[in-house]
Amino acid sequence: MTTVLNKSYNNHTIIRKKYTMFKKDDLSYEDNVETIIGPSVQVEGDFNAAGDVIVEGVVSGSLKTEKNLKVGQNAKIYANVVAGSAHVSGEIHGNIKVDGSLELTSTAKIYGDIKTDTLAIASGACFHGKCASGEEKKRATSRKNDGKKSEETDEKES
Amino acid sequence: MYLYLYDSFLNSSKHTKMLARVEMRLTDLGIGGKIARLSPLKNIRELIKDEVKNGVKTVVAVGNDKTVIQIVNDIAEHAVTLGIIPVGKNNKIAAALGISGTDEACPILSARKLEKIDLGKANNTYFLSDIFVPKSNVTLLCENRYEIRPEKGEFEVFICNIKPDHVTEDYVFSPKDGMLEAVINPTNTVPASFLRRARQGEKKTTIVPFKKLLIKSRTPQEIITDGNKILKTPVEVSIVPKKLKIIVGKERIF
Repeated sequence: MTTVLNKSYNNHTIIRKKYTMFKKDDLSYEDNVETIIGPSVQVEGDFNAAGDVIVEGVVSGSLKTEKNLKVGQNAKIYANVVAGSAHVSGEIHGNIKVDGSLELTSTAKIYGDIKTDTLAIASGACFHGKCASGEEKKRATSRKNDGKKSEETDEKES
Repeated sequence: MYLYLYDSFLNSSKHTKMLARVEMRLTDLGIGGKIARLSPLKNIRELIKDEVKNGVKTVVAVGNDKTVIQIVNDIAEHAVTLGIIPVGKNNKIAAALGISGTDEACPILSARKLEKIDLGKANNTYFLSDIFVPKSNVTLLCENRYEIRPEKGEFEVFICNIKPDHVTEDYVFSPKDGMLEAVINPTNTVPASFLRRARQGEKKTTIVPFKKLLIKSRTPQEIITDGNKILKTPVEVSIVPKKLKIIVGKERIF
């Protein structure tokens, strides 16, 4: 948590705090957390959030956020996950698609395919599935483009 | 034209001097108006309706949070502006709006800085602060897309627009974001393992922002609005964006 503002009224100082999603060491995000799914609840269905999400409970169906996702150590997700970036310490049964970086900590358990731009897996993490990283994709597409260009130049020369 | 609604607790003699001072200040600032005193026998809805017909554009609640909450439903139906002069204790709403005290309220009313804020709606009842679902086994259907239910046992739910005093979670609630927040707390029937986990830094409260939510249960369950009105499940809760025009101070928290 980071204190963002101090204000005083009625002779009481009220300290407004906002949650920070990740520690500075983890990732460089410090956005407001908009949704927290605590350990006492179960969410079922198409969960679609616009802001940051922390999951500590159980989610089944599908989970989508445009921003950051943090999956706690005791969280269980039985869903396909789409996120802007993710930090996973819990269990995910489903495919994961992350636009930015995906970090799996030592307690993470992933049973599904991963598609991400940047991937970091800590030792001890469990991962069963296929993995595709963004750079590989770019290289593949650039190779294809290079191939096409060379074919075009060959045709012109002939 | 201004209408000042005095709460019934202001009839006490200990407030007489203070009210005289406030009235004098309001007259000096050129924003004096009609004064009406609330009482259980007076129909506030009819009173506001009549005064709006007579040309009242601003209704000022003089009292505490209860006074404001009491008149919100009647004000929301008319195109009038709400002002607050906080008196005594329990003035969290006024504080959130940047009105720190009785004396500070007069120049704030005169400056007339306006904000349009959201109101929550539970079935046909508006609420400014929150509604409360006591410990129960209800299911929350959010946005018609996903359901939230307790994993084990029961939970209690606060649905908040402005952060109420009894919600201790450090989370920024804004009445201008076009969203309501469901704050779900596990009750004491939670197993000890949960508490151990909580001690390890796990957040046990659930907070979900939403625009539309249906509270349903197998048996009818009581739901209490901030104005102490009791509703029975199923209750449909939604946000009405920018419904209330309100006079705010510079030190507001949103």
